[in-house]
Amino acid sequence: MAPLKSLEQNHPDIDSHFQSFCASHGIFSVEDFLLNDDYVLAALAEQEPNPERLKQGITELLSIIDSQHQPLLNGMELLEDALRNKRVLATGCNGIDLLLEGGLSVGQLTELVGPSSSGKTQVCLQAASSVAKEQMGSVIYLDTCNSFSPQRIARFLDLARDHLLQTVMNNILCHSVFDIFTMFDILHQLELKLRSQRGAQKVHLLIVDSISSLITPILGGSGSQGHALMTSAGFLLKKLADEHNLAILVTNHTVGGEGGIPKPALGETWKSIPHVRLLLSRDRGNNTCSVSIMKHSSLASGKAASFVICG
Amino acid sequence: MEVRRRWIDGDESAGEMLARLSTERPFLLLPPLHRLPLRVGNVVELVGPSPSAKTLILIQAAISCILPKEWNGVHYGGLGRLMVFIDLDCRFDILCLSKMLKHRILEANGLHVETTMEPDDADKQGCDKSPYVDYVEELHALCMRRFLYLRCYDSFEFLATLKTLHYQLKQVEAVQQSSVYLLMIDSIGAFHWVERSSTFSQSRNTNRTSLSLQCVSETVVQDMKKLLLVHPMLVIATKAISLGDRYSAKEVQRKKSFPDSPDSRNITSSTHKLPYREYMPSVWQVMFHEKFFCCIYFLRY
Repeated sequence: MAPLKSLEQNHPDIDSHFQSFCASHGIFSVEDFLLNDDYVLAALAEQEPNPERLKQGITELLSIIDSQHQPLLNGMELLEDALRNKRVLATGCNGIDLLLEGGLSVGQLTELVGPSSSGKTQVCLQAASSVAKEQMGSVIYLDTCNSFSPQRIARFLDLARDHLLQTVMNNILCHSVFDIFTMFDILHQLELKLRSQRGAQKVHLLIVDSISSLITPILGGSGSQGHALMTSAGFLLKKLADEHNLAILVTNHTVGGEGGIPKPALGETWKSIPHVRLLLSRDRGNNTCSVSIMKHSSLASGKAASFVICG
Repeated sequence: MEVRRRWIDGDESAGEMLARLSTERPFLLLPPLHRLPLRVGNVVELVGPSPSAKTLILIQAAISCILPKEWNGVHYGGLGRLMVFIDLDCRFDILCLSKMLKHRILEANGLHVETTMEPDDADKQGCDKSPYVDYVEELHALCMRRFLYLRCYDSFEFLATLKTLHYQLKQVEAVQQSSVYLLMIDSIGAFHWVERSSTFSQSRNTNRTSLSLQCVSETVVQDMKKLLLVHPMLVIATKAISLGDRYSAKEVQRKKSFPDSPDSRNITSSTHKLPYREYMPSVWQVMFHEKFFCCIYFLRY
């Protein structure tokens, strides 16, 4: 948020007189104002020589604040938006689509949890190819472990005609990301791009494979910085998903928990971030994967299905 | 004399009064939580690990709040009031609310059809379905408009919301000609880590109020108190907690030995403290303790 000085141009009520009044009470930015009691500030303004001007400034600031938070919507408006924009995107894995009643929900963050080689990346690649082909929109793929494979995608697509294959492949944009700061950078750039351009080719799906390998290195230690970054990343993803109608798919590996039972690498704090959490596992020796719901806002947890990774 | 005697005798027995109150004052929360004597001005905290159906309980309470008590001769048992849902987790699913609301409406009507209509009447109703559907849609839309929703992506948006909510609610109340009864916050600790880390990264040489956890919570509590003064509401806030590994195993064992809990969820009174680590600053604790009260713990095994 802005320092008060930068507001002066568009808001004549926030003049230098008002600014110096605020500065004398330790308020230099809109954040400082938010942390202060506006009633107390108004009472302090009364004691100053020109209270009316100062109070106008406070009212002006309150109206600026009012425009900066999300709008208050009623249920019907929300429902209309949900029915218009929040569709489901088929992943192309029959088991998952069946389990989630259609596929990944637009506006939501879906998480795949599973041990190594349980098919997480295969599901991501399959979902990328399926969305790029069926929706004819772009897919953004953030690859953190060099596991993105265009050959696999071509295999999933199984297209005879070359030019179609090329359009579909052009729809998938892959970024190699090796630390969380690069991810923040890419996500902020994406946010700016999505905000400025309308009507151009639409981004439908954002995949982060795997988000846990970006976040686990910064966790631990005595500081809370790592947890703060993790929560911020989660909120940024959810904001992108909701405001620009994207479906987001992230993966999380597992580590050995209490008594050797595997548990998700991003645990308690991350748990409150995703809308949907799916547990993947694969039978030894064949390509049959089973998937079950760990957490879902409207479906019962524990429901399970299985699918085969083709190719 | 006769009049005085009647006055002394009273109008009804305690049992009769209880029966009358329980039908007159609709329940907001699902049983067995309905026993809590909730009033406007109270602040309730729902505490539980994720997932323990905290949000689901909020949604059920929301439906009871927005449904009318009676509409076109059908009893719905709701409050028919406005409510605000502040979503700090940003995970609320409107389709879920809509589906559950429709289910409640149909349920109320279904019972109505069964109990008061002759079987052949009910058949007729079945054939001629469209006015019936319209009727459900109309009530559904009426209720959904009473549900007000706002999401916040960081603590400053939350503060900005609390500072300006009063004006926005006044506008909505003027349009809808009803007052807001219930404020829900899901969940109060959502930005805890971000606030906590900014506590350490602040320079402390100025007289500026720093953006620390303590400061943000103090302001939140202050703003909520001011809001409740001008807008008396019942506040229900959820808080996600993590029961440490060390405790959960022990707790589960102890709980399972309770003979009188056939339900998978247990409600513990506030006198019995669960061994989880409290992470919200004491200002918040004081806030809901002085207003009333109780935190409700949910456990799911």
